[in-house]
Amino acid sequence: MSRKQLYLLIILIAISPIFGVYLANSVGYHEPLDIVAEKLELNELEIDWTPLKDYIVPGLPDWLGYIVTGFLGVGIIIFIGHIAKIFIWRKK
Amino acid sequence: MHIPDGFLDPYTAIATYAMSLILIGYTIKRSKAIDEIKFARVVTLSVFIFVAQMIAWPIPGGTSLHLVGGALAGILLGPWLGILAMTIVLVVQCLVFHDGGITALGANLLNMAIVAVSIGYVTYRVILKVLGSNSKTRFIAGLVAGWISLTLAGVMTGLEIGVSGYILKRIGYSIAISLPVMAIWHAGLGVIEGCITGSILSYVGFKDPKIIEAERGGKNE
Repeated sequence: MSRKQLYLLIILIAISPIFGVYLANSVGYHEPLDIVAEKLELNELEIDWTPLKDYIVPGLPDWLGYIVTGFLGVGIIIFIGHIAKIFIWRKK
Repeated sequence: MHIPDGFLDPYTAIATYAMSLILIGYTIKRSKAIDEIKFARVVTLSVFIFVAQMIAWPIPGGTSLHLVGGALAGILLGPWLGILAMTIVLVVQCLVFHDGGITALGANLLNMAIVAVSIGYVTYRVILKVLGSNSKTRFIAGLVAGWISLTLAGVMTGLEIGVSGYILKRIGYSIAISLPVMAIWHAGLGVIEGCITGSILSYVGFKDPKIIEAERGGKNE
């Protein structure tokens, strides 16, 4: 990843709560799937396996949790890539 | 478009898991032949798609939209690596952030990592073959590819939910509702997905067209 890409990534994560938290809350985040669920009276089954559901960190304000989970997600993907790289190319 | 737990019946969940695992397993097998630079591009694009999906735009009329990025991944990386990139994103979203259900992960992978990526790649290749490649045609091809890939992913989601309703015999739970709602909404929202895809491809193509795997014939993916 180049330095430019890294800066772009940091900016995108930093501004993401504007869209993912403030604007989403102000208009009521609603995907087409939610419309289907409403029409068909579907209820989500509550199975919890992570405390970070919906990009929220318990104890943190929503906007900060959104930023933290953004960086965490990026870190996890890079970590997966790193592990896969070691696994594939060390074998070779 | 991430289907949560409880929307799919066990048969559809198992069938979509099986289809996704077989196709992704094949993808991983093929991916072992790639070099480190290409793999770094997969990780970089996965990271950007993950972040782009966090940026949801409210749309007047009561819905929201975020980039799915399936067509973009397929076009930039080729179908196999595109599937791999989207798989990484969707698995992290599901397992770490509960974005999409664990029982519906197979269906979500099928819709967004396999169908959206493959259809986007094929559409882009066909259009560029007909029109030739320059900034304008890259935008047009990206727009159509992004639009079709999101629409079809939406149609697949509607089908899966509708079929599940049929199997479970739920009252008011019907393919006649789920399919048109998902198809119509995503056909509309797909225009924005297409515009973003087309703009990125037009820019990347202007800077360095060699980066776009779909224009190299996907020989190296």
